[in-house]
Amino acid sequence: MTPALAPGDYVIVNTWAYRRREPGVGDLVVLRDPEGGGRFLCKRIAGVSGSGFYAVRGDNEAVSRDSRSFGLVSRRLIIGKVWLSARAPRGRTNGPESPS
Amino acid sequence: MAPLHSLLTLLDRVSPAKIAYAHCDIPCGIYDPHHAQMAAHTVIRMVDLIGQLEKPGPNATADQRQEYMNKLARYIATKEQHAEIFKTEVRVLWGDYFKPEHAQQFPNLHDLVWKSLKSASKGRQEINLLAAEDMLRQANEIATIFWKTKNVPTYSAKSPYPTGRETVYPKIG
Repeated sequence: MTPALAPGDYVIVNTWAYRRREPGVGDLVVLRDPEGGGRFLCKRIAGVSGSGFYAVRGDNEAVSRDSRSFGLVSRRLIIGKVWLSARAPRGRTNGPESPS
Repeated sequence: MAPLHSLLTLLDRVSPAKIAYAHCDIPCGIYDPHHAQMAAHTVIRMVDLIGQLEKPGPNATADQRQEYMNKLARYIATKEQHAEIFKTEVRVLWGDYFKPEHAQQFPNLHDLVWKSLKSASKGRQEINLLAAEDMLRQANEIATIFWKTKNVPTYSAKSPYPTGRETVYPKIG
């Protein structure tokens, strides 16, 4: 999700964001990994199919695993919208994810 | 936003937050067709070495036969291993790296991958220089497409290995 997010950033997710409205194109969301593993992914809504399914994309397309590989995702998998993100100080990461 | 990050770090220690993965599967973005090209060179080299190996004549001693068998077995084992490395590497590029839009941009990609895997099977099963050369040619074509998707220019040059075949390299730096 570079440059919007970098490894180690914190995000605060509004899980109520989509109670009254549907996810919109451009929204940064956290969703359950449709390919399982109990992981959460952070992606941007790239398209709305109109029947409760959404296309998600990573901003850094060359290395992103997103709807281009796992297809449309169900509304049920979307946890919420990223409300706030806090950039990790340079050279410091908290997560196990290493930058590409 | 460093103070906010520090505050959240503190909160994370007290009550660990869940991790959301922001980009790829692991290893992220570390792909290179070089391994497949190298494996193809190795298969060519093994075919060459097998061809150059002098077969023991009717008057050969037991030791000479044993030495021949040993060398032949080692060349074949290496050929088998590297043909399999080739297939693994091509499959990883195909399955993990290339995206649907790459296949749209390069309509021959799927067919090329399929043919390269067939060549590798043949290169593995037989002592077949043409199949081994097909492996390298197809690995070069895959490399050309791979680097194009990254907007990295390529050039073709004779490899510095004993195989000496034309190989596609990225022009980096």
